[in-house]
Amino acid sequence: MSNKIIKVSQLSKTYKGGVEAVKNISFNVKEGEFFAFLGPNGAGKSTTIKMLTTLTRPTSGEVEIAGYDLLRQPDKIRLKIGVALQNTAIDPTLTGRELIRLQGRLFGFSKAESNNRANELVELVGLTEDADRACGKYSGGMQRRLDLAITLVHRPKVLFLDEPTVGLDPASRIDLWEEIKKLNREYGTTIFLTTQYLEEADQVADRVGIIKNGEIVALENPQSLKNSLALDKIQMSFSSMEEKEKAKLAVIKIAPNLESVETMIKVYVQKSQKVLPEIIRILAEAYVFPEDISISSPTLDDVFLQVIRNKNN
Amino acid sequence: MKKTMLILDIILLTKRSLIGSIRNPFVYIPNFIMSLFFLFVYTAGVGAVTNLPTLEGVNYIAFILPVSVVSAAIGAATGAVETLVKDLESGYFARLLLTPTSRLAIVLGSIITGMIQLVLQSTLLIMIAMLMGVRIYSGIGGFMLILLLVTGLGLAFTGYAATVALVTKSSQAVQMSTMIFFPMLFLSTTFVPLDLIETSWLRIAAIINPTTYIFEGMRALLIRGWMPSHILYGFLVGFIGSVITITIATMNARRAFDGE
Repeated sequence: MSNKIIKVSQLSKTYKGGVEAVKNISFNVKEGEFFAFLGPNGAGKSTTIKMLTTLTRPTSGEVEIAGYDLLRQPDKIRLKIGVALQNTAIDPTLTGRELIRLQGRLFGFSKAESNNRANELVELVGLTEDADRACGKYSGGMQRRLDLAITLVHRPKVLFLDEPTVGLDPASRIDLWEEIKKLNREYGTTIFLTTQYLEEADQVADRVGIIKNGEIVALENPQSLKNSLALDKIQMSFSSMEEKEKAKLAVIKIAPNLESVETMIKVYVQKSQKVLPEIIRILAEAYVFPEDISISSPTLDDVFLQVIRNKNN
Repeated sequence: MKKTMLILDIILLTKRSLIGSIRNPFVYIPNFIMSLFFLFVYTAGVGAVTNLPTLEGVNYIAFILPVSVVSAAIGAATGAVETLVKDLESGYFARLLLTPTSRLAIVLGSIITGMIQLVLQSTLLIMIAMLMGVRIYSGIGGFMLILLLVTGLGLAFTGYAATVALVTKSSQAVQMSTMIFFPMLFLSTTFVPLDLIETSWLRIAAIINPTTYIFEGMRALLIRGWMPSHILYGFLVGFIGSVITITIATMNARRAFDGE
């Protein structure tokens, strides 16, 4: 279909020494789609991004981006994509404006075009006042915004963002998300994103792919993923770790799909209205009393954890 | 959008590295002081060898000046590669790889900046030596050739250190790799001419050491005037070394992220 801007088929990467980072993954991303690519550390997310962005050569498989073949036409692909990798890729000795201008020139813009684009972009990312300061002295959030501006110089059709909000304070994260959402909604830029902040992916992504041990284990829109889990979440908090451990030993007998975080237990069950009285009864028998109990639908975090822990779920 | 051109990209990336160097002078000033130190200390400490037969009547500053100039060249080359390492570490190198720019232009940008520093530092060192009484027997043409000879060595060394940087992406590995400078310097005709090296293994080491031919070429131009064979060997060593090492560095720039 013509509206698929990223087509990935049987893509693999095996490093020297035999480590299989990515194993025969296949998926497509539609033009204008906001696609979130999730996975635990070492799952193969960054390797996939490096392959899709022409930085690393695949061991096998086929990739087509914006109609160009990854292996035969990497130069054409570079003209169509923008890439913000995990580290902010800037030269700290140059000013923000100089870096944007240079990027424009390297993409073949004239001096005047590069200057105009630099003015537009520093305004877009809110760096007009600081554009003529050495960017090595910018805060982390400002460097991230500059990185995004540099990435956008040549008006890419597809934007690859590898954990763009890592290390940013909450206010900077919100600002950056606003910029990214604007690019997607107002300019129709296709976004391919990896992030550790699943609640953010839940809010913005049209579709989510989850990779585990180099294989894609889920590929759906966030709501379908949550529905597919078909489970309710019962969350209980306890006054101490000791209390929580006692509760865990008791509850696991009737609800084995359980997670514990600090003094909290999350239990995933079908039909929570039937299971909850049972849980309360069994806790009372064990002389453990939760400080708080709540029932909710699973979040994308819950789906992610379930999928990662058990590929077959 | 215009089609990008190799020459324009090289100019743009060289300008960018030069701006970085100008804004951070502490990267190259210590290297220049070290080269100056070599000139003064070796002249004061070993200058008496001019009483030996082969060197009789030679101004020892002129004899040791190539060592000082080569030291400046190696320092400038190392500085150029450190820019490359910083780009690799900061991710800016990956950013450049993601542009349509040629990989050769990316590598050459920092290398040419290093060579500009090398030429400026070498010129200053030679001028200081001239103020100390050195006379270049081959004249202004010889002076230009001395700069070309040392640029050849600098390029070859930069290509070598850049390859280490691109393969390891580690500034520590680059620093360790530049230690090869010491055997290159001391297993050569650094302090005395080849004829006066009596220990046979040291003599063999000096003969197979490419630096010897750079020294000999420069010394011919400084002390004896136009000696075609010495000058030609010096250029051949610099040219062949540069072509080999820069080609390998550019090949590694293409696959810099393949092993990650």
